[in-house]
This record gives sequence, structure tokens and C-alpha cells, in this order.
Amino acid sequence: MAKVEEMTRSTVESLKSLKSLSQQFFWRLMDLLVGGIFIYAGVIKAIDPLRFAIDIDNYKMLPWAIGVRLAFYLPWLELLCGLALILRFFYCGGLLILTALTFSFIAASIIAKVRGLDITCGCFGHASKNWSFTTHLALDFAILIALIALWVSSRARQREL
Amino acid sequence: MNMNFLRLIGVIALTALVQSARAELKWEQTSVDLHPGFNDKQAVAHFKYENVGNTPVHFNSVHASCGCTTAQTQNEQVPPGQKGEITATFNIGGRTGTQVKTVTVQTDDPDPASSTTVLTLKAVITPLLEIQPALVYWQNGEEPKPKTITAKANKDAGVKKLDVVSSTPDFTAKVDAGSAPNEFRISVRPRDTTKAVYATLTIKPDSSANTGNVFAAAARVMPLAPTSGTAITPSTKAAVSTIRHDLATPAPTAGSPRQ
Amino acid sequence: MKVSAVRQTLLLIALASVPAIGEAIYFRDKVSWQSPDRSSEMVNLDQAQSWGENAIWVDARSDNEFEQDHVPGAIPLNEDRWNELLPTLLAQWSLEKKIVVYCSSQSCNASREVARRLRDEAGLKGVFVLQGGWEEWQKSKR
Repeated sequence: MAKVEEMTRSTVESLKSLKSLSQQFFWRLMDLLVGGIFIYAGVIKAIDPLRFAIDIDNYKMLPWAIGVRLAFYLPWLELLCGLALILRFFYCGGLLILTALTFSFIAASIIAKVRGLDITCGCFGHASKNWSFTTHLALDFAILIALIALWVSSRARQREL
Repeated sequence: MNMNFLRLIGVIALTALVQSARAELKWEQTSVDLHPGFNDKQAVAHFKYENVGNTPVHFNSVHASCGCTTAQTQNEQVPPGQKGEITATFNIGGRTGTQVKTVTVQTDDPDPASSTTVLTLKAVITPLLEIQPALVYWQNGEEPKPKTITAKANKDAGVKKLDVVSSTPDFTAKVDAGSAPNEFRISVRPRDTTKAVYATLTIKPDSSANTGNVFAAAARVMPLAPTSGTAITPSTKAAVSTIRHDLATPAPTAGSPRQ
Repeated sequence: MKVSAVRQTLLLIALASVPAIGEAIYFRDKVSWQSPDRSSEMVNLDQAQSWGENAIWVDARSDNEFEQDHVPGAIPLNEDRWNELLPTLLAQWSLEKKIVVYCSSQSCNASREVARRLRDEAGLKGVFVLQGGWEEWQKSKR
């Protein structure tokens, strides 16, 4: 009787650790995916900051002087935060920044659309210029949800410790 | 301790006194957004102010950033407590899109920080019709295939039809609905591309809201590249292109062919 | 945990500025930092004059200023009467020509606006803005 109990317990334990492992694996994969997206986005824009400056200017929300400086700065911030996700250093900070960036970007896109501006996104560089507004927005929302999910899961992990 | 305290009170009192003796013009807004209609020739912004100080304010200068904008004050001197406004009139002319014009106001306020105020007028101009490109052209000898001019009508204008007429019979123009609402595709075709021709395409929208606005585009068959009047035969053409090539490239090396 | 996240955020923000500043220094001469000036499409007076017959000079100033004086042979094209004046230019331009737009000085914006509209709306190529504008031209005539 005791042996059966013991076996059941150990099976349950194994299943639990398997579940925990696969969860860990899943979230790690998410880190890599989301981090990778931002690293890619950052690199594409860091390579051609002039083009990015023009894209920012197309939103007509910021004066050129500010926009052009942001064009030099933002790609590196994205890149660094993407790396933070992947390498798990300054993880929370990275998540926070990326969430804020994605959120502001979605807001800016919607505002621009409402104002009737016809702009190419610039978020994935000129590679994404042929995507429709809806495609862009959908992708950005997906990224935002992923970021929030990563945040929630990392909090849960912190609490477990 | 007492002396220092008294001194402090004294400084504060003096500062307050100095502040209160300032002439101060308070602006209701220093930035105005305008959305003139497509038939408007001007966009007018009113910048209201009030003298909340206790000495009169005198306008030293009111100066617009461009010749297309005029600015006027109601009076040059504003007594304390008086309200007024500066009217900035922006002559739209042929401008389109977002236009930002400023009016710099200088008063006799002794404080340099508040003696100069920049008033901003932002006008979003959406014309009745936006035509792109303004010119379609064919090179001499190019295949006379039709080229397209896109005309986007202002969505508030209710344009159903466009009438396009060429100033010469050398070009024909056909109008079709575009891919987006309020969009038209004007297909222009030359009859012949062997001689240089220029035509103005007059574009008339049928909108009842259109009060005589005339829109135009241009169509052209370019003249042959200038060779100062020599007859263009194949050998001349080849010679010309070689000469041009030589001019464009650095000194030829021994191995390069020359005609 | 919360404090730490904030500190991480600030550190990341600060760290990112290092390569950003480095890149900005690298690009410092290639970028217009104050206004969207397409510096690659500006031309200085000597260069513009060297184009000789191939240059079409365009005066972007007001009608009054044009009437007072202008570069000999220049065509007026200002935004006040854009639609009326544009056809004259369109009738003269061809692919070998270069358009040199000028307004009163380096700081006036009209020439850049006119140049931009010629490129974007009329689809013309070879449109340049004269460095120093009319002021520069007058200086050279003294």
C-alpha cells in the first residue's frame, strides 16, 4: 500500500517537474522570440537612422529636431532591451521599456491613421513598407500581449522563489 | 536670526513689488489650428490677449514669418485690464498640406523672457483635388504607352466625375475610377512620340461645391537630346553618346575602344 | 523588486545612449539636426553656374521680389501662385536639365518647399536648392 502511495507521489512529482520544465521552456522561447524581434527591429533602424528619422517625421507628432535625435537613440534602446530579454540581464527593466515603447507606438499609429496620414511604419524599417495598417497593428498588439504575458510569468516566477 | 528673517521678508516683499509692477500680456492661446475649406483663399487665426499687469503694454512690432501671412493688432497700446486680439491672415495661395506660419510679437515688457511671443498658426490645407504627378512625359521615340495621373478628391466635396481636356489633340485622356473612394485615374496617351509636344490637361471636377477652381496637369513628349541642330541619324546618335560617355568617365585607359 | 526594475530601466536607458551618441557623432555631418533639410540636394553657386545652359533657375520668392530683380533667365515659381506658374516650368524641363531653386537667403524656407513639391508632386528629377540663395548670387555679382 505504502509503495503504491510512494509511486503515485513520485509520478505526480515527476509530472509536476515536467510541467514546470515545459513551462520554463515555453517562456524561455517567448523571451527569445520577442527579444529577437526587437533586436531585428533595432538593427534595421540603427543601420539607417536617416531613413528612420524621416519615418518618425511622417507621423507629424514631433518636431524634426527631436525626431532625428530619437531616430539615433531608439534603435539602440530596442536592441539592448531585446538582448536583455534573451540574456536575462536587467530583464524586468527591458520588459518595462519594450512594453512602453510598443504601447506608445501603437498609440501613435492609431493617431496618425485617425488624422488621415498615409505613412509607412518604419518600425521594421522599410522592409515592412508594403504591409497594410491592419497587419502592422495586429502584429504590434500581438507583441504587446506577449510582453505583458512575459511580465506576468516573470512575476509569478519571482513569487515562487 | 531676527535681522536675517527681516531681510528675507524684505527681499520677498521687494520681489513681489517688482513683479507686480510688470506689464504683462497674457495670451489665451499662442497656437491655433485651422482647417480651411477647400474653397477658402485665406485662413484667419485670432490670438486673444489680456493685459493682466498694471502698466500699459505697447506693441513694438508684430512680424509674420512669411510674406503670405499678415498680422494686425487692434491697437498698439493696451491699457491694464484691457483685452484685445491679434489677427493673423494666412493667404493660402497654391499651398497644400500642413502649413505652419508664425507671427513674432515684440512688446515693451522689460523682461526679455516675456517681451517676445511667438504665435503659431497651423493650417491643414486639403485642396479639392490632389493631382499626382503634375507632369507625365515620354522620351522622344519611346513607345506611346498610356501613363497614369492619380487625382484624389477631398472626401467632403462629393466629386463624382472628372472632366479632362487636353489643350492639343496630340494627347488623349481617359478617366476611370481609382482603387480608393474619391480617387480617379487619368490615363494619358500621346498620339506620336517622334516630335516634341507640350499640352496642358485641364481637369474639372463636377462637384457643385467647386467654385470655379481650375486644376491642371501637363503632358509632354520631350525634345530629342540637344545636338545643336545636326540631323539625327543612327551614326550621329552613336557619336553623341560616345562623346557623352567620354565626358562622363575619367580619362580613358589605353585599352578602351574609341570611335 | 519594484525599485530594482526601475533602476534596471534607468540603466538600460543610459546604456543605450552610448552607441546612440557614437552613431550620431559618426553621422554628424550627414544629418540636418534642426530641420529636415535634404543637404544632399543642395548646390553651391559655383557648381550651379557650371551647369550653364543645362540649369533652369527657379525663383521661389514672392512676385514683388521677383519683379524687383532676379537671376537672369529665372522662372518665377512661388507657392502663392503655384498652379498658375508651374506649367511654365513643366514646359521647359527635361531629364538633362537641372533645376536650381533659390529664395532670399540660406534661411528662408520657400526654396526648399518649392523643391520638395517639384520632386514629390511633379515627379521631377535633378531638383536642387541654391546654397545661400539670392543673397549668395548678389554677393558674387559685386
